[in-house]
Amino acid sequence: MSKDRFQDSYDAVVVGAGNGGLVAAATLAAKGHKTLLLEQHNLPGGFATSFVRGRFEFEPSLHEIADFGSPQNKGGVRKLLEDKIGIDSEWMRVPEAYRLIIPHEKSGRIDATMPFGEAEYISKMEQYVPGSRESVSKFVKLCEEVVHAFSYLGRSRGNPDKKVLTGTYANFLKTAPYTLQEVLDAVKMPYRAQKIITAYWCYLGLGSKYVNFSIFAAMFNRYIAKEAFIPRYRSHEYTTALDLKIRQLGGDIIYNTRVERILVENGRVVGVETSHGDIIKTAYVIANTSPHTVYSRLIHPRSAVPERAWKTCNARKVGFSALVVYLGLDKSPEELGLKEYSYFIYSTPDSNEIYDRFHKLGRPAAQATVCLNNAVPDCSPEGTTILYLTTLFSGEAWSGVSPRDYFQVKNKIAAEMIDEFEKALGVNIEESIEEIAVATPATFARYTGAFNGGIYGYEPVPWDSILPRMMTMNEEKYIKGLDFAGGFAFRGHGYSSSLQSGETAALLTHKDLMEVK
Amino acid sequence: MTGKKLHVKIKPLGILDLLSFKNLVPGRKKRIEKAPGTSIDPLPPVNALAGKLHPEIQHLVVDQIKDETGDVRTYRLVPDKEKGTLQPAYFRPGQYLSFTFEVEGATVTRPYSISSTPGEALSGFYEIAVKRYHDGFVSRQIWDHWTEGCAVLSGGPEGFFYHDHLRDRQNVIGIAGGTGITPFRSMAKSILDDDLKINLVIFYGSNKKEEIIYHEELKELQASSGGRIKIIHVLAEEKLENFEHGYITADLLKKYAAPLESSIFVCGPKPLYRHIDRELKGPAIRRKFIRKEDFGEIEDVSSLETYPGGAAGKAFKVLVHRGKEAVEIEADAGESLLVAMERAGLCPPSSCRSGSCGVCRSLLIKGDLFIPEEVDDRRQADKKFGYIHPCIAYPLENLEIVVPRRKIE
Ligand SMILES: Cc1cc2nc3c(=O)[nH]c(=O)nc-3n(C[C@H](O)[C@H](O)[C@H](O)COP(=O)(O)OP(=O)(O)OC[C@H]3O[C@@H](n4cnc5c(N)ncnc54)[C@H](O)[C@@H]3O)c2cc1C
Ligand code: FES
Repeated sequence: MSKDRFQDSYDAVVVGAGNGGLVAAATLAAKGHKTLLLEQHNLPGGFATSFVRGRFEFEPSLHEIADFGSPQNKGGVRKLLEDKIGIDSEWMRVPEAYRLIIPHEKSGRIDATMPFGEAEYISKMEQYVPGSRESVSKFVKLCEEVVHAFSYLGRSRGNPDKKVLTGTYANFLKTAPYTLQEVLDAVKMPYRAQKIITAYWCYLGLGSKYVNFSIFAAMFNRYIAKEAFIPRYRSHEYTTALDLKIRQLGGDIIYNTRVERILVENGRVVGVETSHGDIIKTAYVIANTSPHTVYSRLIHPRSAVPERAWKTCNARKVGFSALVVYLGLDKSPEELGLKEYSYFIYSTPDSNEIYDRFHKLGRPAAQATVCLNNAVPDCSPEGTTILYLTTLFSGEAWSGVSPRDYFQVKNKIAAEMIDEFEKALGVNIEESIEEIAVATPATFARYTGAFNGGIYGYEPVPWDSILPRMMTMNEEKYIKGLDFAGGFAFRGHGYSSSLQSGETAALLTHKDLMEVK
Repeated sequence: MTGKKLHVKIKPLGILDLLSFKNLVPGRKKRIEKAPGTSIDPLPPVNALAGKLHPEIQHLVVDQIKDETGDVRTYRLVPDKEKGTLQPAYFRPGQYLSFTFEVEGATVTRPYSISSTPGEALSGFYEIAVKRYHDGFVSRQIWDHWTEGCAVLSGGPEGFFYHDHLRDRQNVIGIAGGTGITPFRSMAKSILDDDLKINLVIFYGSNKKEEIIYHEELKELQASSGGRIKIIHVLAEEKLENFEHGYITADLLKKYAAPLESSIFVCGPKPLYRHIDRELKGPAIRRKFIRKEDFGEIEDVSSLETYPGGAAGKAFKVLVHRGKEAVEIEADAGESLLVAMERAGLCPPSSCRSGSCGVCRSLLIKGDLFIPEEVDDRRQADKKFGYIHPCIAYPLENLEIVVPRRKIE
């Protein structure tokens, strides 16, 4: 390099400018540390970005940010971005929680549009499923307790008072080891209400009998109580605002620069080496990429990776990747008959069966589809619509696809998803497609280097859910000076968790740096 | 929510629940202990697929050179296996490659459509057709220096000028001017390979018969296509039997094809686009059925109607920040900022050179510039925060900008 163009030593280096890395770099820079953020792509954001096709600008991954809250009722993420970091970004409220369609439910088609707000949610459910009020209220309250317990755990910085836990948060403790399905059965929720209340399951990528209850509860409460928001000009708006903020705070960012090695000596980080051959000294690295990638590709020498680190990786399962069909349509949402923002369409009612099917390359059994204009009316030109249809796939499902088959395979799946959407809603979409782009696991791997295209962190099964991760965080730190941020960090995937994980990693690094200084 | 205290029991465990909680940590440790301590594949299958589809660079070698017309040559390029490129990346007919060149001390890029087919990439080569311009900075260099065995550097296949059966009609009208025929050659040959299932009518505008590229080959493609491919040559400066004379007009399209039942793809020099826009004006054809390839750099920016008066012919100073370093360069009003930087030897990143790919994205700190609206494909937030695409930005006064380094230097 270009020694003259960048410094050759930093207090901390952040690898990757995704949600986690941007917040980590901003937080460190704000604390006055000499911070360098390195990103292989030419844009900030990772998955949190945007792309343009013709007269449409698409949102690549975000459906809605949880724990954001309105300006009057701020959630953790809004506080983080607006109050703590202070970025200039505009946010739009998502109008409803979701519309869920399960066309082939045995007891009859389910088609339920659910509102935000706990009381509103419970009442609406009672309309759809008479007699559900009691169990649904119980469930909603339980979710609220889980969130309070998590914030208590956060406040106690790893030293919770046992009495408080067993007293105030007893239900949290009792439910923490269980799956969502076990808790649904415990509160005796009617079957159809269970189907409706678990609709968000696909955001976690684990069926109800696999997913840990606490993590579902936290997500459910944060959406329903705090509503959901999205950026006015796609995720590229706030990630660019974060970039500008980091520079303003004195941090450096270098794009088009991949970290090839994290240099380790005597069990601790001493620097990084980049694709341009830059060698940068630092004692602290925050990796906004998975432990899988860091241990298998980046740590140098490889012998610095202890056996226990491999075991930890091998014990965990990398979560799903996705296939997204982005459509720019040349009719307005009204003309197309699209009234809602967020649609969950489950071709078969059983989330566990769908989960299993995501491991194979067949017709998608589920989709989460967003009509962006219904939250951001002018996101595309007058008389047009942006619609994106998302389904999940394991990376392995795509492992047999050759470059030659690739375009055909992805377009076939795209066609099936469009067909499913059209049938579920009784609308015609295909006729109006002016722009189409289809992203697959390979696309996500291409742009972010994500391990096997994984976008969903590690699967939050009960033994590997946030709570046990939190409780073992220190002993699972295998290389001194190395921390993780982003979807593969302890908080799990999703925008809100990834963003907040960046803050946590930065604060831990800050603590260490202050001790050293 | 408030109300009476909640009490949840998980059947059938009941009071054992707290015990399970206590077991979370030991249980986790046991899981980890039991797992194999083997290392992980650093290149899992999906990342490997991504690398094959979208290599960051392709090391190629000129394998064959063929004269097509007086000023157009086909270059066949094969992978440079010694340098690590084993196979040309697969692509969709209509995509392009961005090549990197060292010319007179400057590092510059140029996009060229792939004129060969995806099937041929699988069998080991790409072809591009390069027209030599007398004052061309790079095309001249190619003609003069690309000899057989010469090493060439490109990126992966890029661009969106391809047929998509979910969006486009099966009947396609291709409108080509000059070297704009190249993506259509790829499409036509792919039809014969059965890799592209469309019917293609190509309207190909040239000045004179001798300037037609692939003349014989196109004839053969048509003859062996069983009606799936039809070529209509339109000569602007000659009147010959079996050739249309003049320009490609709406009436001509109707004479040989069904423009209202087709998707129309246009590729050629900028004047062709303006001409076709006028011909196809009117509400009859939905925007989705007309697709235009990027046409690259704007040749004479001050001739655009929207160009503000006053700056033409002037030269400005641009302070370019790269990392901690700042360099002052000269920029002429008539050249894009990208070119000004390349000229100054700064090696800024670029690919499409048409405003659409965003690879050159840079931050404008100070000063005013001209960005023609019709090629301004920036993201909305980039407009809000002052980011620009230097390949289509023209200085109107002294400027200050921040430019990223290239991905590969
Ligand atoms: C289709 C889809 C739909 C989703 N829907 C939602 C939703 O509605 N709501 C929600 O909350 N979440 C959703 N998610 C999940 C969410 O997007 C991710 O979990 C989250 O953005 C992950 O953030 P991250 O911090 O891990 O960053 P990533 O986006 O993974 O970014 C990592 C960054 O690091 C860079 N990098 C990696 N390695 C290196 C290196 N060696 N050197 C330099 N740079 C490097 C990458 O280029 C990238 O910029 C969705 C995801 C997808 C893809
Ligand atoms: S090089 Fe593609 S936008 Fe400038």
